[in-house]
Amino acid sequence: MSSLLRGIWENTYGLLVDDGQLAVGAIVALAITWLIATAGSDAVRENAGWLLLALVVVLVVANLYRAGRNARRQVS
Amino acid sequence: MDLVTLAIAATPAFIASAVEFVEATTIVLAVGITRGWRAPLAGTAFATLTLAVIVATFGVALVTVVPEHLLLGVVGTLLLLFGLRWLRKAVLRFAGIVALHNEEEIYRREVAELRARGLKKTEWDWVGMIVAYKAVLLEGTEVAFIVIAFGAKGAMAMNAAIWGALAACVLVVAVAMIVRGPLTAVPENWMKFGVGAMLSSFGVFWFGEGIGAEWPGDAASIPVILATFLVASWLAVRMLRGLVPEGAHVEARNV
Repeated sequence: MSSLLRGIWENTYGLLVDDGQLAVGAIVALAITWLIATAGSDAVRENAGWLLLALVVVLVVANLYRAGRNARRQVS
Repeated sequence: MDLVTLAIAATPAFIASAVEFVEATTIVLAVGITRGWRAPLAGTAFATLTLAVIVATFGVALVTVVPEHLLLGVVGTLLLLFGLRWLRKAVLRFAGIVALHNEEEIYRREVAELRARGLKKTEWDWVGMIVAYKAVLLEGTEVAFIVIAFGAKGAMAMNAAIWGALAACVLVVAVAMIVRGPLTAVPENWMKFGVGAMLSSFGVFWFGEGIGAEWPGDAASIPVILATFLVASWLAVRMLRGLVPEGAHVEARNV
């Protein structure tokens, strides 16, 4: 039973997470956007989607830059 | 529900599912050609049944029980996580850091492994059935996830997403039956790149809607979000090509 549950968990986790830092970063970006949209004015809430897009794009590029540096270190 | 909403559910479900079905078909073909067709077809049928139960259970529960705003937030989060995972891998592949997905190579490796396991003509081929079942279930889980996510806007959207995935399945299986080999001509790596960007875009769009953000022109903002992801990914590919020497392949998990 425990191996079955572990298998289900590993498959579900693997479906969503390839790189832990990227996944955690995405969750943090979502949380920041939600907090700002909840606490801010109507104008801030209405534009929160663009803030999320900006955060996620920066996150992806930063994560890939780190991946590139790691790869360079491994091959050199 | 308007045509745009239906197209939003059906089109990404079709493209993303086609990629997954190509991968599952390669394994089922390898089993069928090396060990006979009865067992892999039975495995495929059981896996399809399992997936139908997953979609029916979770899909119906999501659409009917969870409030719309919360649903958009949850689906947006899951789509973003799922999409970023695809997008990251696609960028690393196009930058030459991770080897490109090669259906021909996967097919050859699978055929060699299956031949090595041997086959007794008198017994039911459990190996063939289980290999096919696992392949279809594994790739199909991603299809089920995509269908549930894109169908989460209601029963009509769910139907559109299911029809999109079914159309992809019929098309891929029909082409595989004609070709009788792995579908190497399908531009899988490009499709994965596009699907990653598309899923991430829908994730951002729906999470935004879930927290009450206003998108100019509503769904008309999706192409703008998608273009932003594609441009950022293209720039990332160029950045990585400058950073890592050409042909320096590293396993994705290690970077």
